[in-house]
Amino acid sequence: MKLKLGIVLVVSLLLWGCSKEKATEPDPLLVLFEKPSTFPNTSYKMESNPITEDGFLLGKKIFFDGKLSRDGTISCAECHNQPYAFTHHGHAQSHGIDGQVGPRNAPALQNLAWGKTFFWDGGVFDLDLFSLAPIENPVEMDERIGNVLQKLRKDASYPPMFKKAFGTEEVTTERFLKSLSQFMLTLVSANAKYDQYKAGKASFNTDEKAGLTLFNEKGCASCHPEPLFTDESFRSNGLPTDFFRNFVDTGRYRITELKEDKYKFKVPSLRNIEYTFPYMHDGRFISLEDVLDHYTDGNMANLETLDPIFKQNTKRGIALTSKEKSQIIAFLKTLTDDSFLKDKRFAP
Amino acid sequence: MKKIAFALVLGISVFFAACETSDINPNDKNSVSLYFENLVGTDPIVLNTKTYTNASGEDFTISTFNYFVSNISLKATDGTELKFADKYFLVKESVEASKTITLPDVPAGDYTSVSFMVGVDSAKSVSDVSQRTGVLDPASYGTDNMYWSWNSGYIFFKMEGTSSKSAAANKGYKFHIGGFGGMSAKTANNLRSVTLTMADLAKVRKNIAPEIHLAIDAQKVFKSTLKIADKNEIMNPTLGTAVANNYKDMFAVEHVHNDKM
Ligand code: HEC
Ligand code: HEC
Repeated sequence: MKLKLGIVLVVSLLLWGCSKEKATEPDPLLVLFEKPSTFPNTSYKMESNPITEDGFLLGKKIFFDGKLSRDGTISCAECHNQPYAFTHHGHAQSHGIDGQVGPRNAPALQNLAWGKTFFWDGGVFDLDLFSLAPIENPVEMDERIGNVLQKLRKDASYPPMFKKAFGTEEVTTERFLKSLSQFMLTLVSANAKYDQYKAGKASFNTDEKAGLTLFNEKGCASCHPEPLFTDESFRSNGLPTDFFRNFVDTGRYRITELKEDKYKFKVPSLRNIEYTFPYMHDGRFISLEDVLDHYTDGNMANLETLDPIFKQNTKRGIALTSKEKSQIIAFLKTLTDDSFLKDKRFAP
Repeated sequence: MKKIAFALVLGISVFFAACETSDINPNDKNSVSLYFENLVGTDPIVLNTKTYTNASGEDFTISTFNYFVSNISLKATDGTELKFADKYFLVKESVEASKTITLPDVPAGDYTSVSFMVGVDSAKSVSDVSQRTGVLDPASYGTDNMYWSWNSGYIFFKMEGTSSKSAAANKGYKFHIGGFGGMSAKTANNLRSVTLTMADLAKVRKNIAPEIHLAIDAQKVFKSTLKIADKNEIMNPTLGTAVANNYKDMFAVEHVHNDKM
């Protein structure tokens, strides 16, 4: 199995090598991570954690390992499924250990190297520090990082992998976290129909074209700008705050405790949006039609922090006809990146 | 020949005598240790079993009493300041060994004050994970967690226990104080610096490794009428500010031992 994977990896490395104009890079392993030419520089300091094949394979093994949870049942992959851009398919709010439910929807794991903050409220500012959170969250994995490392030390398969990746068999917090980062950093989605269209390699039909124009002209792009389809800012798009009966999620305010951040959430990327349903931080909308209805139908909550862009019309929100809405949705579906969703390098 | 030898011997002994009288040879080094004795009032904390009464007349017990100490510096009588950069300590009432902090290689001299930060400074709080070893390694905490993973940052000060005045079902209270000022947004900063002047100088000599004995009065956490009845759980930085403002005053130098080794 591992051999097969290795072969797939090597083959894809070779293919990549061929397709590149300057096939001069001596280190073929760099293919695991490549900055798409249309993307800005990464936020992650890539030089602080050079991605290697062994580091990536170790990170992947950890990502799929239930040992990270108290009772061995919940792996990262449990809530982050590749075919759905690493979201928790079928769950509005993610279910963790003992069937417990947290208040938030699992976001897509993609293009994390460009993330400035993580979580819907941006509470974590370094991808390397991220994995501590789900591990220690009582409703997710409910384990202690110290115990996890202990379990890996005792598992005969891990120390040799740590040695391959980092030079010695020592299992440390840094190595554990950085190998997980290596795996997550490679989850780059930049090969959707949209990207091919931009590169002149695919064409859009009339609706998709109209949708792209509307997306830009009606202001969606002011928060969800290409190429990442998020500006990483915290905004309120007017979701009513009474979605849960006994809990109000104050979003970014929970982290900064600044009044102006109340009910603001990190603008999510819209890449692979066709597959990341249900939508919003609490998974309240099942379909893209529901999302568009929220933006247009004047049902936005009149929050003090509601983004000014939604206050320009008599009716709160963005004015769109139903035809325009379906055109925007047609455009959003061009953000689906099949090669990413089916990339075998990311499968266990 | 004999005379020369005699003169030499004399010279050497005079030289040594001179050293003895001026006392401080700046080339000599020794360690200075800080001993943190955690008290309630003047009595050493007894975890779990002893009940105390705070300034608002509330009964309370203490089950956990932890705090980070960093950025220690010693000031000599001549005004020079000796900084111990990149050294982080976690004092826990439950772990006797954690209460002694030893600072190695302190140049001989007379030291008049000691300063430190309660918490983990902002530079370290945003540092690469490779910088987080020892007491800063989140894997080192076990069940006595000192790191907020959901709001990246260390818990600078942690005090837990019970009180009949607590509104919690289990009668517990929890003060977890953190907040280094925020990565991008400006948020509550609960880092506090403490400077303590020593009535007795700490005299570092070749044969003296002073021990600075600090008395930490947990009762001070409740000054300015911080009431368990009002809030039994303080875990967010803005609420934590009032607690940090209280506990920064709980440190005092009790005395300094300058025993010859
Ligand atoms: C029980 C389900 C569950 C498990 C298990 C889980 N996650 Fe998540 N993950 C979520 C949810 C829900 C969120 C969003 C939470 C929030 O924003 O408060 C999330 C958010 C994330 C994010 C932030 C993405 C972003 O753009 O902000 C990353 C990265 C991530 N998870 C990686 C992991 C890793 C690595 C593991 C394993 C160590 C893991 N997750 C385990 C449910 C889960
Ligand atoms: C003022 C900034 C802003 C504008 C303008 C905006 N959005 Fe959003 N969008 C957000 C934020 C913030 C969220 C997440 C809100 C939450 O979950 O609380 C979001 C969520 C979404 C989601 C759900 C994503 C997911 O993964 O759950 C979709 C789809 C979406 N927006 C599409 C659009 C479209 C289409 C437009 C234009 C009609 C648009 N947005 C305009 C800020 C904006």
